[in-house]
Amino acid sequence: MWPFDAVDWLTLLAPFAYLFVLVSSLYVFTNVYRSRKAAQAASLEPWFPPHLQRNIYLSLLEQEDPKVPDSFLKAALLRRATEDIHRIVQIRNAKGALQVLLQRGSVGDDLWQRFQRAEKEIEEELRDVVNEANAFAPNWGQTIFQSASEMAQNTQIRDRLTDILATSESEKSWWDARKAAIQSSFMKELDEEKKSPLTADTVLVERGGPAEKGGKKKKKGKA
Amino acid sequence: MSGTDYNYDEQGDFFPFFILTITSLVTIPVTYSLLKPSKELENTATRITSDFKPEHADLIDGQRKKQKRRERRLKRGIVSVAGWTVIGLMIYLIIVTARTTVKIWNPYEVLGVSTTATEKQITSHYRKLSRTMHPDKAREDLSRNITAQSINDRWVEIVKAHKALTDEEIRNNFLLYGHPDGKQSYSIGIALPKWIITDGHGKYVLLMYAIALGVLLPYTVGKWWYGTQRMTKEKILIASAGKLFREYDNDQGDSGVIGALSSGEEFNEILAGHKAENGLSKLEQRVLANGSETSISGSLTRKDREKLEDMEDSRRRKVLTLIWAYLGRIELDDETLNDEKFEVAPVALRLNDAYTAIALAYGNTKAVLSAYHTSQNLIQALPPGASPLEQLPHFTPAIASAAEADRSRTHLSIQEFMRIPVDQRKSRVVTPGLLNDAQYNKAIKVASQLPVLHVERAFFKVVGERHVTPSSLVQFVLKCRFMPPGSGNVPDIDLAELEDVDPDEGDLAAITGRKDDRSGLKPIQPPLTYAPYYARDHAPRWHVFLADSKQGKIAVPPFSFSTFDKPILDESGNHTYNVQTLKMQFGAPPQAGSYTFVMHMICDSYIGMDTKMEVTLHVEDASKAEEVESEEEISEPDEDTIAGQMRTLKSGGVPGADKAKKRRTQDDSSDGSDTDGDVDSESETDTDTDTDDE
Repeated sequence: MWPFDAVDWLTLLAPFAYLFVLVSSLYVFTNVYRSRKAAQAASLEPWFPPHLQRNIYLSLLEQEDPKVPDSFLKAALLRRATEDIHRIVQIRNAKGALQVLLQRGSVGDDLWQRFQRAEKEIEEELRDVVNEANAFAPNWGQTIFQSASEMAQNTQIRDRLTDILATSESEKSWWDARKAAIQSSFMKELDEEKKSPLTADTVLVERGGPAEKGGKKKKKGKA
Repeated sequence: MSGTDYNYDEQGDFFPFFILTITSLVTIPVTYSLLKPSKELENTATRITSDFKPEHADLIDGQRKKQKRRERRLKRGIVSVAGWTVIGLMIYLIIVTARTTVKIWNPYEVLGVSTTATEKQITSHYRKLSRTMHPDKAREDLSRNITAQSINDRWVEIVKAHKALTDEEIRNNFLLYGHPDGKQSYSIGIALPKWIITDGHGKYVLLMYAIALGVLLPYTVGKWWYGTQRMTKEKILIASAGKLFREYDNDQGDSGVIGALSSGEEFNEILAGHKAENGLSKLEQRVLANGSETSISGSLTRKDREKLEDMEDSRRRKVLTLIWAYLGRIELDDETLNDEKFEVAPVALRLNDAYTAIALAYGNTKAVLSAYHTSQNLIQALPPGASPLEQLPHFTPAIASAAEADRSRTHLSIQEFMRIPVDQRKSRVVTPGLLNDAQYNKAIKVASQLPVLHVERAFFKVVGERHVTPSSLVQFVLKCRFMPPGSGNVPDIDLAELEDVDPDEGDLAAITGRKDDRSGLKPIQPPLTYAPYYARDHAPRWHVFLADSKQGKIAVPPFSFSTFDKPILDESGNHTYNVQTLKMQFGAPPQAGSYTFVMHMICDSYIGMDTKMEVTLHVEDASKAEEVESEEEISEPDEDTIAGQMRTLKSGGVPGADKAKKRRTQDDSSDGSDTDGDVDSESETDTDTDTDDE
């Protein structure tokens, strides 16, 4: 047959083979690349550690025998809301900074992805808490976060206070030691004064001493 | 292949030229970049001289050498050596290969006449030749190797040439085209030897192309791309940046920052494999030992200690303990541990730069200060809260506390220590068991070389304006002097130096800030940081930023200064006390009013040399500013100042002519015309009392 005889099949095969290799390699590349990306995104570390308070609440809720009283559940829910407040504050503070850093190229893309995921999660979490609260008492959902934030603030202030109070022990001992040192040196000075006969020279020197010390102390006080 | 149109370079005449061009295109730039002296600050600055050798100086030097090796551009060296070898070879080939250009038969040459000769001259010359060269006339001379044969050949040539030249057409061809046959066709050559395309070599060439385009190109592009993807702007790994961001906390103090730094991925390279746990228990025992005499146990709060002990990742625990060991200058009794101790510090400092960037993005003053203080601590190898005096050689915590004599809770800075009268100062530390005379002198020598930047005046101004108007571009001008600690008889300041005179109106470059007074001259660098324990060279930088004290936020982000406009030392090495000018620009707030900022000036390398002072920016309403301007004299600067003198000179007025008028107006203008943001009076500028040690 004419048209088929005139064609050199082997030569014709070459361009098709070329096309085939090209297309298949591109296909393989995109597949591998995408699956890797997806795996990477999935393996991203979550922004926040596991939500302990939520887990406690849920396990209390599911406990059947004996059933947990409502007051316990409400307290657990409040605890959960408090933790959510901590998280949402953190997310809000971080957002602006993270955007700036991302623009400047100081942090990577995956951190931003993680952040966005955390943002979504926390939104879901808030909605869930509101729903749960409404289930306990109508309209509690509107006020639960207010009370939770007050609780959070209270804890924060109390923590600061304990931190400050914790230093009192060492401060006190330091001041005691200092006071004793000053006293002893003062006594020694007095003793020396008594021992040595008063001459004009010594008086002058001794007047210079305390005055200088006083000046230094003033400086310290200012700093 | 249809090679008929081209001539391949069969003799290999042009191939060397081709290779030579290509190789030199690559080799010359590479060699230039290899030999170019580094312009980095660390390589051009002077040093603070001291012959103090810290403990384990060999290890620290070893680390320095390691870094130098890393910086050595080995690959570039190999490439340029190979390139020059190829170039040399090619030049040799070009010289050696004889030119095989075919010599064209030239009848003029054969006859020995010039190309301008007419036909007549040619014929007469031919006649003349025939008298001597004709075989009948010429004699054989065997001694000169002239045989009958050669005479004959010569004569035939001459006859041929004569014939050619007497033929009009051939002669014209010669004159026009340089060839007896007329115009020659041009030939295009390819500077490739023919063997490349013949004998089935084609497929190898194709293979080379495939490798170059299909493998090498994607590989290099991919490597470059992923290389840039791996690193952030601060030259740390992306993963570390993410971890640092997660570890960031506004309220963690200096020790918290150090804890955060230990999360960096960079440490994995140092503590790879089994190194991650080697010696960890010994290290912890050394660093965390309760009641040990190390200074570290004091600065580690209980919280930090708990945090450290609760860390699950043993590598991170080791890193953090090593950093603390480095900061406490703790002897670890183990060569490798000591070496690692010095190795982690530079890495931690690099991470700290990234942490500073994060803190700046949050804009919290306290956190930024913590980050800067951590940088000081890392460079000076001192834990947070240590005495600044320990920066001096031979000063240990015990000596520092002896030097601080009055046992206050705050520490003495080096400047304050050096201000104590000489005898008293010496008697505090030079006692048996503390320092001997030589050691003391060494320490004092270093102290008197440290660059302490002392702010003399700080004010706001707008170029070309007398008032700061809303939303204008404000310059914050700092006039400072380098005053080494303990410098007596500091010369008084020339008041004119404290003014900042605007550049001429025509001088566009100066106005836009593209040029300072010393454009073209080499900027002046302070000496490298004196940091005997830090295993790198570090050029000190000064960061200046304005903070809003009420909100605890940064108002104007830091400007960093590492070079200055006037010499710091004269030829003989004495301090010049020149007034240095530092400027930072920012946009004024959109509303009129007075804004009080706290100016922080922090040196990233020395502890206890921070300056903190209040500055007030008066923003005047635009309408008010105009009003003042229209009333001409009101805000005329006093003629005692340089600015005033310049003004009178410019306007051509006689000083004193309108003095009376000025006197009259001066009273009511004294308030409004005070454009130079209110620098708090003398007592505040005395910054030493304000230094922020915490």
